[in-house]
Amino acid sequence: MSDKKRKNVFKEGAISSSFIAEAIAKHSTKKDIGAHSIFLGQVRNDVINDKEVKAIDYTAYNEMAEEKFHEIRETAFEKYSLTCMHIYHSLGRVNSGEISLFVFTSSKHRKDAMEACTYIVNRIKEEAPVWGKEIFEDESYIWKQNTL
Amino acid sequence: MKIKILAFGIIADITSKSEWTMENIQYSDELKKHLENLYPRLKSTKYAIAVNLLITSGNFELTDGATVALMPPFSGG
Repeated sequence: MSDKKRKNVFKEGAISSSFIAEAIAKHSTKKDIGAHSIFLGQVRNDVINDKEVKAIDYTAYNEMAEEKFHEIRETAFEKYSLTCMHIYHSLGRVNSGEISLFVFTSSKHRKDAMEACTYIVNRIKEEAPVWGKEIFEDESYIWKQNTL
Repeated sequence: MKIKILAFGIIADITSKSEWTMENIQYSDELKKHLENLYPRLKSTKYAIAVNLLITSGNFELTDGATVALMPPFSGG
């Protein structure tokens, strides 16, 4: 395993549009980049048994998740020719309509950024030990199930 | 010997706690059986077991001080 500094993936609460805008703006100094690919996961107001989801409360097995995110990062860098990569995932409560996952890949040419972005999102959905509790208007809840 | 148990998601709801220690359990199958007796709802709940951060399969020996995580299917993102 490399000794590259581990990045903190988890953010408390929703990922704001200003945070995303700033992340994009920061890359204007990296002039060898020709393409960015961004995935934003937004909390959807599914209706389950006549009740509408108003928020998702995320919890994680932090220690294991950090290891997993690190491994996904390293593998993506090996597989694709990327200039940089950022992953942010919410913990705690995120309201419907807000962003809970932000994956941002950059490369010289579009193919690497786009394919790496999809690859990373898929692996996060399948392998990151994170659980979402879907909370309804009346504060009752069910545990979310990912469609893979 | 002692092991630390961590429960996540719906498993923590079923057990009503997210962290505790257990003693004198040597194998994962023994642990599962013991927990399913205490919490019958676990029998119909899907979960994976990670020992010291690694997901395991089959019946395996638990060593003293191991951290055993009970993890239902992931639903991040």
